[in-house]
Amino acid sequence: MSVQTLGWLVLLLPLTGAVLIGLTFKALPQRVHGIIGVAAIGLAFVAAVLMFFGLQDRGEEERQLVSVAWDYANTVGVDAQLAILIDPLSVLMCLVVTGVSTLIHVYSFSYMGGDRGYTRFFAYLNFFVFSMLLLVLAANFFLLIVGWAFVGAASYMLISFWYRRTTATKAGIKAFVINVAGDVGLVLGAYFIFKGTGTLDFLKNFELVGEAFTENQPELVAGCILLLVGAFAKSAQVPFHTWLPDAMEGPTPVSSLIHAATMVTAGVYLIARLHPLFEHAPDAAMVGSVVGCATLLIAATIGLVVTDLKRVIAYSTMSQIGYMIMAVSSAVYAAGMFHLMTHAFFKALLFMAAGSVISAMGGNQDLDKMGGFRKVMPFTFACMVIGGLALSGIPPFSGFFSKDEILAYMVDRGGVYLVMAILGYVGALLTAFYTFRMIFRAFFGEMSPEAEELSHGHLYHAPEPTNPANGEVEDTEVGFPGPEHHIAERAGGMKIAMGGLAVLAIVGGFLQIPGVTSELHHFLEPTFHDSELYETIHPSATAEWIGLLVGAVIGATGIFFAWTIYGKGGNAASFQARFAPIHKVFVNKWYFDEAIDFLIVRPAAWLGRFANSTFERIFVNGALVGGSTGAVRALSAAVRSLQSGYLRYYAALLLIGFSGLGAYFLISA
Amino acid sequence: MTIHLSILVFFPLIAGLLAAFSPGSLAPKILLIGTIIPLVYTAYMITDFDAGAGLQHVTDDAWITELGIRYKLGVDGLNLWLIALTTVIAFASAIWLIVRPPAERVGLFCFHFALGETAVLGAFVSQDLALFVLFFDLMLVPFYFLVGQWGTGDRAAAALKMVIYTLVGSLLMLAAAVATAALTNPDAPITFVISELQANPLPETTQKWLFIAFALAFLIKMPAFPFQGWMPDAYKAMPLPALAFFSGVVSKVAAYGFLKLVLPLFPAATNDWNVILLVLAVISILYGSIQAFTQTNARLILGYSSVAQLGFITLGIFAMDSDAAGAQGALLQSINHGLVVAPLFFVIALLAERAGGSEDIRDYGGIAFRAPILAALFLIVALATLAMPGSANFAGEFLILLGAFSSVQFLAFVASVGVILASVYALRMYIRSMHNRVGEKVTSFEMSLRDGLVLVPLVIAIIAFALYPQLALDAGEATVRSTVEAVLR
Repeated sequence: MSVQTLGWLVLLLPLTGAVLIGLTFKALPQRVHGIIGVAAIGLAFVAAVLMFFGLQDRGEEERQLVSVAWDYANTVGVDAQLAILIDPLSVLMCLVVTGVSTLIHVYSFSYMGGDRGYTRFFAYLNFFVFSMLLLVLAANFFLLIVGWAFVGAASYMLISFWYRRTTATKAGIKAFVINVAGDVGLVLGAYFIFKGTGTLDFLKNFELVGEAFTENQPELVAGCILLLVGAFAKSAQVPFHTWLPDAMEGPTPVSSLIHAATMVTAGVYLIARLHPLFEHAPDAAMVGSVVGCATLLIAATIGLVVTDLKRVIAYSTMSQIGYMIMAVSSAVYAAGMFHLMTHAFFKALLFMAAGSVISAMGGNQDLDKMGGFRKVMPFTFACMVIGGLALSGIPPFSGFFSKDEILAYMVDRGGVYLVMAILGYVGALLTAFYTFRMIFRAFFGEMSPEAEELSHGHLYHAPEPTNPANGEVEDTEVGFPGPEHHIAERAGGMKIAMGGLAVLAIVGGFLQIPGVTSELHHFLEPTFHDSELYETIHPSATAEWIGLLVGAVIGATGIFFAWTIYGKGGNAASFQARFAPIHKVFVNKWYFDEAIDFLIVRPAAWLGRFANSTFERIFVNGALVGGSTGAVRALSAAVRSLQSGYLRYYAALLLIGFSGLGAYFLISA
Repeated sequence: MTIHLSILVFFPLIAGLLAAFSPGSLAPKILLIGTIIPLVYTAYMITDFDAGAGLQHVTDDAWITELGIRYKLGVDGLNLWLIALTTVIAFASAIWLIVRPPAERVGLFCFHFALGETAVLGAFVSQDLALFVLFFDLMLVPFYFLVGQWGTGDRAAAALKMVIYTLVGSLLMLAAAVATAALTNPDAPITFVISELQANPLPETTQKWLFIAFALAFLIKMPAFPFQGWMPDAYKAMPLPALAFFSGVVSKVAAYGFLKLVLPLFPAATNDWNVILLVLAVISILYGSIQAFTQTNARLILGYSSVAQLGFITLGIFAMDSDAAGAQGALLQSINHGLVVAPLFFVIALLAERAGGSEDIRDYGGIAFRAPILAALFLIVALATLAMPGSANFAGEFLILLGAFSSVQFLAFVASVGVILASVYALRMYIRSMHNRVGEKVTSFEMSLRDGLVLVPLVIAIIAFALYPQLALDAGEATVRSTVEAVLR
């Protein structure tokens, strides 16, 4: 099969799965739907692997190909086609997306087993994978925006999956609206580019951008910054990040797949994909670097104090994506994409392990209530530690190579990038600290009642399930927390998926060992052949190793601090009291939610009320017809007394008049 | 003389007349036949259409020779797909009337509905200004009766208000139409044929006040800000099958009127004053959206969302960018909006049935669980309404905003806020009805197969159009381009 055919196959298999599950939702038993869902993604992964080999068989110059299905909106100078672009970058993304998705589908097959919405879940999840692949494979701005919005919609449906929870529906609409704001940014950004180059096609744009725009031309910078708005909204970068922590309302496999491994990294992919534009608009690229850097720090500080297990990981995701955005915006492409990949492995793993714990807790996600799971859930504990070490950048786990490669390259670029690299190291310290704070609190210390019960061999069940966020009694009709729930220690599917990711989280870093291997860098070269900075920024192997060692020491220090405070004999309360004011800022998440509420939500709601109660009533109704103010009332009463009785006759007369005209026509013709 | 288009236009009316004198159980079926023939004929015209050939299927006969009024009908890239939209929505509404007939005087209801379809089709195919005005005013009659006699709530007042508002516009337009014909080329014999009027443009100052009269009539019909005063009451009172047709199609006649009459006949005035229309359009977008997410009556949410959507259409028509992307998008969006708003009104009827007859979204909630198919269809339509990329609505909005971006960048930015607001009101309505806790009045159950007959074809049409909007774009491109170019020249 040709590479193009395989590309379309990768795209269409998950869509077929989603449609098939959707259409047969009543006809087939739900386990079959699970199998269809897993098989569709598994086959897509196989196709992606074949596509990879097909691409490698071609000469380096021929590794960027476009395949057009049909003209979509090809009119008045707009060239929107249904076309995919296959090149090393998109193939890498396809491999990561389908690979991780396959494992998470396997995990979900077990984890969601007791859920009433099982079928719906797999339909949505397959649809999500399709959307993500569409985003990745799109060959032009138009299709990119379509994929971009589809993943937003899929994310919305899955965040609101347990739709009887008001917290879940609120989180869903929040995520959706912020993402639509990002979509609008993308659309407007695309307009700026389109006005200059006259095409929506990526490859043509990359060729033409040099002629169409001078370097840092205001239109190009504005366009690129608007594109960044899209990237920030999707990748939860400051100040568009507030939806991501709330998105943890979704089932854990969703958090793992969409809100950690794949969708939220779309912004990183976007910048890497459009690198010729950003390299031609360095001012815009600088915005990306700075925002990425700010996000990695802000998110890490919030991660220090959050007590919801999944939200700790969510803030960690934000922070790690901050590293990636900073990297690709600073033209450190290969390392950024490398971190995207390893992060997908270890972050998905962390979420899955968290899901196992949450199941054992009967749905409760509060770290304060957890403790002592180390002995009763050894497999989950091992996975959590592997993921945690990778995240903290401890050798030889994958995160060690990827994160520190980013920072080493940033140092090599020098100047302001050096400052950001140093801040990145500060972030690394915080990362290691909050990661192990989470692990120590959940797995060490006194056994919680739930862990106690598990040690006696049975799972804890809440007498009456309530939504931990607001105490509302759960409506179990739509699913979780249903009568059964599954933990990794007992469910085969979960164990397989977590085991697979654990292995990847350990060995994934070996693709790029400084001075030894540089597979990814070589593989991606054809995509970045037009980049001036791809080859020029290149620290020596020695410099990279120094960076790696510094990173490792910082990671170990963070873990050590976490142990002294949250481990045996630590005193978290006194530590907290010592930093009370700053602790307050972190706990309130730097007041972003409040600021957005005050600046945007309230004024909009107020305007709506004003429009409705005052403007509509007085101006529109009052001034024109049938209003309540005196003069108008008198006038309209006069009109009405004259007309209302006769109005229907007028109308009838009009009708007869028309008929007469028609008759006249018939006669005269 | 060819009579094909006359069949298209008047067949519904003939069926309607038959239906009026038929027993209530039979009347909607006769109406259905009356809507099928135009539908089939339109399908034929689409396959037969030659995008490069200008006006097709022309009927051109003398009518009132003394006044220069001709019975001239024709199809071109502007109206072809709007005719298709009309026949599709009328067909779906007719099925709706079979499934759920009105409580009383079914035959008369069907007659008025059929008259409405004839009037709209007539307005779309008219190539003579007087004929257009005639059909345009005729549209008012059936809907006046449908509101006044079959409406709910304060229907008499609502009908009166609607008539007064739209009559003001209609009279202005009538006067302006007569003036246009009389003032054009005073030495030659008087004519109302649009192509001939277009060939001899009026002096700029005359154009200006005629422009105002036409624009007012169309803005009221849409409705656009600040002429939407009649809309809330009329929408609250009108029976749902009629409202689906009214909101889906009748408002598009106004948008079509801008493209067909105002731009070609008054190019100089358009050039001078398009900014006023653009500002009104942007205000309509924002005002309509903000209203739509504060309303709790489901019909008004859709009503105000239509104000916003028509605002986008107006924005596109008057964007006047050199590539005509705005106008092209506006034409596409006219079809799209009709295609999504009609099924939404059907959905409201189904929701009300599950919530003790209430049309207030505060009484809804949690309906999805026992009605997953209904929920899925509703979600698809809701996402299309908010112009989710991938829907044809997005292709339309993309072109509209691109057009605005090219000519009036600032307004394009402001209008794009409306895109975000659309996601708020569309999803709010979906969530409040389908998700959250089960409302007190709610007894949820799945939609029946018969309801599916109405809803499913429309949803399929939305999806098909989403996959291949190129079809409609190809048909309209040449005409739209030449229209806009004529203005810019």
